[in-house]
Amino acid sequence: MSAKFASIGAMLLALTASTALAQTKDTLTIDLPNDAATLDPHLQWNTDSYSIYRNIFDNLLTRDAKGEIVPQVAKSWKYLDDKTIEFQIRDDVTFQDGTKLTAEDVAFSINRIIDPKLKSPQLSQFDQIAKAEAVSPTVVKMTTKSAYPALLAQLVKLSIVPKAYVEKVGDQEFNVKPMGSGPYKMANWQKGVQTELEAYASYWRTKPPFQKVVFRTVPDVSTRIADLKTGKADLVRDVPPDQAESIKSDSNSQVLSVPTERIGYLFINAQGGVTKDVRVRQAIAYAIDRQALVEALLEGYGKPVEVLGAEPVFGYTDKVKGYEYNLDKAKELVKAAGAEGATVEFLTSPAYSRATVEAIQQMVNETGLKVEISSSDQATFLKRRQGDPANAGGLAFGAWSCACQDVDGVIFPLFRTGSIWAKYSNTKFDEAVDKARVILDQKERLKLYEQAYQILKDDVPGMGLYQAYALYGASKKLKWQPTANEAMFVTDMSWQQ
Amino acid sequence: MSTAVIALRQRLRRIPISVILVSIVFLVIVLLAIFAPWVAPADPNRQNLLGRLKPPGFEMRGITYWLGTDDLGRDLLSRTLYGAGVSLSVAVLSVVVSSLVGVTLGMIAGWFRGKIEILIMRLVDIMMSIPAILLAVLTVAVLGPGFLKLVLVLGLTRWPRYTRVAYAQTLQVANLPFIKASELAGAGAARILFHHILPNIAGPVLIVATAEFGLMILMEAGLSFLGLGIQPPASSWGSIMSVGRQYIERAWWIVAFPGACLFLLVFSVNVLGDWLRDQLDPRSRSR
Amino acid sequence: MLRYAVERLIQAIIAIFGVLTIVFVVMHLSGDPTLLLVPQDASAEMIAQLRSQLGFDRPIWVQYLEYLGGLAHFDFGISVVQRVPAFDIVVSRVPYTAMLAAGALVVAIGMGIPAGIVMATRRGGWLERLLTAIVVTGQSVPTFLSGIVLIFLFGVTLRWLPTSGSGDFASLIMPSIALGAISMSTFARMTRISIIDELGKDYVRAGRARGLSLGSVVFRHVLRNAAIPVITIAALEIGNLLAGAVIVETVFAWPGIGQLAIQSIQSRDFLVVQVIVLLISFVYVLTSVIADFVYALVDPRIRLAR
Repeated sequence: MSAKFASIGAMLLALTASTALAQTKDTLTIDLPNDAATLDPHLQWNTDSYSIYRNIFDNLLTRDAKGEIVPQVAKSWKYLDDKTIEFQIRDDVTFQDGTKLTAEDVAFSINRIIDPKLKSPQLSQFDQIAKAEAVSPTVVKMTTKSAYPALLAQLVKLSIVPKAYVEKVGDQEFNVKPMGSGPYKMANWQKGVQTELEAYASYWRTKPPFQKVVFRTVPDVSTRIADLKTGKADLVRDVPPDQAESIKSDSNSQVLSVPTERIGYLFINAQGGVTKDVRVRQAIAYAIDRQALVEALLEGYGKPVEVLGAEPVFGYTDKVKGYEYNLDKAKELVKAAGAEGATVEFLTSPAYSRATVEAIQQMVNETGLKVEISSSDQATFLKRRQGDPANAGGLAFGAWSCACQDVDGVIFPLFRTGSIWAKYSNTKFDEAVDKARVILDQKERLKLYEQAYQILKDDVPGMGLYQAYALYGASKKLKWQPTANEAMFVTDMSWQQ
Repeated sequence: MSTAVIALRQRLRRIPISVILVSIVFLVIVLLAIFAPWVAPADPNRQNLLGRLKPPGFEMRGITYWLGTDDLGRDLLSRTLYGAGVSLSVAVLSVVVSSLVGVTLGMIAGWFRGKIEILIMRLVDIMMSIPAILLAVLTVAVLGPGFLKLVLVLGLTRWPRYTRVAYAQTLQVANLPFIKASELAGAGAARILFHHILPNIAGPVLIVATAEFGLMILMEAGLSFLGLGIQPPASSWGSIMSVGRQYIERAWWIVAFPGACLFLLVFSVNVLGDWLRDQLDPRSRSR
Repeated sequence: MLRYAVERLIQAIIAIFGVLTIVFVVMHLSGDPTLLLVPQDASAEMIAQLRSQLGFDRPIWVQYLEYLGGLAHFDFGISVVQRVPAFDIVVSRVPYTAMLAAGALVVAIGMGIPAGIVMATRRGGWLERLLTAIVVTGQSVPTFLSGIVLIFLFGVTLRWLPTSGSGDFASLIMPSIALGAISMSTFARMTRISIIDELGKDYVRAGRARGLSLGSVVFRHVLRNAAIPVITIAALEIGNLLAGAVIVETVFAWPGIGQLAIQSIQSRDFLVVQVIVLLISFVYVLTSVIADFVYALVDPRIRLAR
């Protein structure tokens, strides 16, 4: 009996010891709301997954702090013709098993992600690429199906994987034990619990700032904050604005916030229900007090916007003004449209701020419309929101970011005729955004987007509400400047000296 | 003093004080739920974005928020009062649905026997071996959330318990002489089932129903807690608590008051249920 | 006996098969995960293409037959969301739920059985009333509420215990209590009833008549005889604990199969849900078969009644 107790005691001691060890300065612990779905970078492009795997892999190209596309594994590139582009590959990059990264690996990575057999959900981002081949150990030639100006922006999302390793272990094993050329290598992945990464000492760009990085899965916000305050975590992601105060009041913690390219917006169905009438849509726009939303619900961590765009996004304009808050006008318009008492369905899911949705509901109800919220799980929400306009609800709230800092990634998918999100069609708008997509002259593009924004203002198939700020809770010892594209590169962080 | 009153007094004296107490609690909650529109000091859905997350007793613009406000500045007292109605009516309706379905199937299985008996009872086995909460979450994924759908989901996932009881009871009762007699007299199956068998199995079914009633309140709260219940801005106690959980550190009252009410309600239902069972089941009364 | 065993086994297989089918159909009625997987700027054609690559565009009965075909070789399929075998995903989470269920059982038995014994032997006293109140409280508090209260008290305010986390002993305490509370009531009630049943029997009266104290009769004889129904309940409670774990694991962010089940239903990760439901219903059926057998072995009348 006593032996049993002794062994339990030893176990407890070991457990306490292991938590104590995790607190040493070599380790950075980050609380994320969800676990990565996959760590094979060619399978999933979602925040939960790439927050982790972009520290394991390098990309062909990347974006700097300003959002410009800059070289990473590729040194430089040039177009041979409209459809062919040649990349010079660095020769000083090694994978975490010590082997050299060559043009072969780059070509393999591209061909792998476009191979239908991989069934990658990311295929849509790369399907314009016909093929890639290694011309020499440092040169890759890529051909696209047609002229494709967005190619470079898409290639920013391409991680380079080691050909030999992937072929040796197979896709399934690679997903569980990924290996790349990035600053951190996989140490241990306990699904649903945590992912441990270890520094890769011979990383080519810089010395990784921490010996070990642990990403923990903590779905509950208040728990993430408690972890931060008790020192179990050094950095926590996804802090809602009204919890920031609680972090600030703690002497060992700080709130890191940064205006992002993410825009809180309201979708208004222009092709179904009572919102088909443009007067009703304008009435809704007049009824929304953006300032109040930002002040009350975001507690200042956000900025009201006039259009569906924000400063860090190319194509953003301050020349087009939004609708001012004017309840009388809103009521008049609803009356004029004969829509008093008409029901408007407000689609939402637990993924979106319930408080914001309810606040908007109340504001729109003031106009004489009757807003009914339909909250379903995300899968059902998407099915309806992206489906038949007649069944897509009248309103929906969202927070959009393309992580590309270009309006093309915002208003094109949201409102271009035929896009899954668009419940709206205007040929003039389509012309403007189509054209802006294929020309390279930046001034001309800006002008086209200004036109497009003016059309959106008149038609109101949706409206921008606010520019969202990314909020992180961090230990005061941590030094890090978060960026507008909400990336989380561990190499940008360090301990305060 | 008439003998009737004396008899009543004697009977009341045999009711334990605890049962009388919880009956009062239960009645008060039911009455508050029914008369919420008249009792509630404010519109439960009226927001006040400048008065968010304020503690109990907070006053603003001449209104006193006795239980404080929620994250949209709504009066928590009014929301809790209205929420009572939602929680209770979901529970009552789903007990009605599940007992109707369950008892009917159970009587059919017990009376007709044969293939239909096997079919029904195997289905009961199947339903009972899927955790109810998972089945409910699954069904909500198909039907979508909302008041009536919630009733349907709970009703359609909870009937097997009634079926088991009704089935076992029907088997026993079916052989009683008077039922045999009416069968011989040419009464139809429906008539026998509903006129003769049902009254005789009502007791045990009632016991299950009271236990289930408490469970239904908890299930509704659980589903609303997972965000799968009632649609906002309407609220049930579960959905209020689900919101309050995020603010537990900053605004404990959002969880505390509906939580306390939920506990009091289920506690009194359970005590009443236990007492009722003792009254209806002579075997357990003798203990 | 053998015939009864075979019959019971067949029933069990039918039940599990039925569970499988019902869950399969319901899950497929709820849509598929394609929309959740694609990037937000995917076109309708791309979505359709991925859906057909993943095989969700085929008629449901084809998918069902294919699934059964796989099952016949103990192949539970590969999760389309995580791209690893669904079985492996679930198995990696089982230890956490097992730990939690064990913790809850310890709480339930450790508190429920003593409470039941006291309630049966000290009838009518204030102690019995107090314990009855505690037992009813146990089954009147929803697990998520007790979870929140525990987290707020011991995690946030007093900071004695971790608010969440997994794997270590300290973080197991609160979820075990929250989950064990309801079972505690069941154990207390069952213990009380079966002891009272035993106390009414002749051997107890005889023992008391020979001058043995109530305590010694209870501890020497009654407990052993009263244990059988309690053991049966213990077996059945394991199934209930697994079901209760769904909410408790969500509240405490405990990475067991309950939390995984909710997440997988929401992400439409069909195959993972199937494995979980299969596992839980297997445990359910297994424990109830065991309970039946224990009863049948001990009490031949039950066997005859069938």
